[in-house]
Amino acid sequence: MTSWTWFLRQGPLRRSMGVILVLALGAFMLLPIATMVMWAFADKWHFPGLIPQRFSIRWWKWVFENGNVGRAMVYSFTTAPVVTLLSAVVCVPAAYSFSRMRFPLKRFLFVSLLATNAFPKFGLYISIATLFYRLGLMNTFAGVVLVQLINTLVFMTWIPSAGFDSVGRELEEAARDAGASRWRVFWRVTLPLAMPSIIVAAILAFIAAFDEAQGTLVVGAPKITTMPVLMYTLVANYPEPVSAVFSILLATPSVVLLLIARRYLLAGYLAAGFVR
Amino acid sequence: MALPPFVLVVLLIVLPAVDATVFSLGRVPINNAAFNTGMHLVRSTGLTLEVYRQLFASRFFRQDLALTLVVTGVSVVLIVILAYVLALYVRFSEGFLPRVLRQLYLVPMFIPVVIASYALTTFYVDHGLLHALFTHLGLHYGSPIYHQNGIVLGQVWQGIPFAVLLLSSGLDGLAQEQIEAARDAGANALTVFRRIVLPLNVVPLLIVGTFTFIGIMGSFTIPYLIGPNAPQMLAVEMQAHFTSYNQPQPAVAMAVVTFLIAAVAGAFYVWGTARSSRRSA
Repeated sequence: MTSWTWFLRQGPLRRSMGVILVLALGAFMLLPIATMVMWAFADKWHFPGLIPQRFSIRWWKWVFENGNVGRAMVYSFTTAPVVTLLSAVVCVPAAYSFSRMRFPLKRFLFVSLLATNAFPKFGLYISIATLFYRLGLMNTFAGVVLVQLINTLVFMTWIPSAGFDSVGRELEEAARDAGASRWRVFWRVTLPLAMPSIIVAAILAFIAAFDEAQGTLVVGAPKITTMPVLMYTLVANYPEPVSAVFSILLATPSVVLLLIARRYLLAGYLAAGFVR
Repeated sequence: MALPPFVLVVLLIVLPAVDATVFSLGRVPINNAAFNTGMHLVRSTGLTLEVYRQLFASRFFRQDLALTLVVTGVSVVLIVILAYVLALYVRFSEGFLPRVLRQLYLVPMFIPVVIASYALTTFYVDHGLLHALFTHLGLHYGSPIYHQNGIVLGQVWQGIPFAVLLLSSGLDGLAQEQIEAARDAGANALTVFRRIVLPLNVVPLLIVGTFTFIGIMGSFTIPYLIGPNAPQMLAVEMQAHFTSYNQPQPAVAMAVVTFLIAAVAGAFYVWGTARSSRRSA
């Protein structure tokens, strides 16, 4: 395996380059987050202190008791699950058909979902809003669900489709030979084996919906203000620790869910990736 | 069974985009009070480019457009270079350091953009932590926050994971034997990179470049929270025109302008992939 290191010959140059990369990237990625976390526990932090002069957790209490925060949490934890469920209902059957059936325009239909990434998002949201005005969907729960749904379509179809692909047809045929009906084979063999990929896709869909701020701002605000949308207001109008505390609350679901799904995540991400 | 997601793409993407284009060309929908009271409304029975003429006649719009293109272009170049260096290093070295790097470049994937923008602000802002560090070291500090450099900074931070993951998947497809054969034939590292590694990565590089370009072009949160007041990126300007100034038609026209620029980027991508597949054929 020594040939793997041909690229930057063995030795001090390669090692020091690695160390520099790690330190620089570590500082670049982590210091902003560390600063924010310190702000969440800061009571007094004046320039040029490298850490807060006084710590406190009183802003946590403030955030938890704030009515706007509570309302935003309710909106976030109702929209995101509805989006996830709806996305699964719409996309998983499609994923199955892409994996197991032949029909005209299959390839086109499969790739056409990439249209969700082919438009600059914010221009798209403004366009959707002009249409939603006419349809009476502005500032409604349904409107927000639809706009959040857009970003889930690609992977909610592609990842489960790859999952169905990986279920061996011999297994299905064996079950058929043993006398099971098609329907029964699907429920007892195919679906359970493809389930991990569906769960990963659902987790990603939940996170995409939960974190979606831009489309929700255009279509939902000021009435349907989810947590990420409230963040725009908090940053502009409240003392530093309020936004910092709220950020930690808002980031927690994504971080926890992504860590749970992590093992499958990169594989799924690439299996269903753009270069398929 | 395959149709429902496609139908949603048509209803939520194609239809709004077409509708917005028609509206920006002077056809104002009659059944909509919100638009009929809109300011700077160009109303026409046929199609007209008047909205675009007014837009491009405005110095403010031209500045916004220029800033959008510059910020997007610079960010894409920086992301591609940085991500490619990371991907190459991680692919061609072993041990503890690349393992750490592999964790580090994924960090932004876990952090929602709104929070990332805010966290970057707390660190880089005037009188923020970096400023304090500079002061202790006796260095002068100029903050990129509320400046166009700040937008680039945010886009690079956010764009790294996707770019590195995609470029790495391209590098994984490299045949080790091919590289070794070239090495045995006496090629140095640079030649191997130019003749073998890079040509095999043209398509992943184009994919990353194009999708990153379109993504940044359509981003609102980072420029809104980190960028300057004016000029600003088009997404921020669209939002202001749409909600604050009650000018939906110019807002929609700006959206269409970003669609057209993205279409040019997309065409470039198609041309590039076609060219590279013809070459390798």
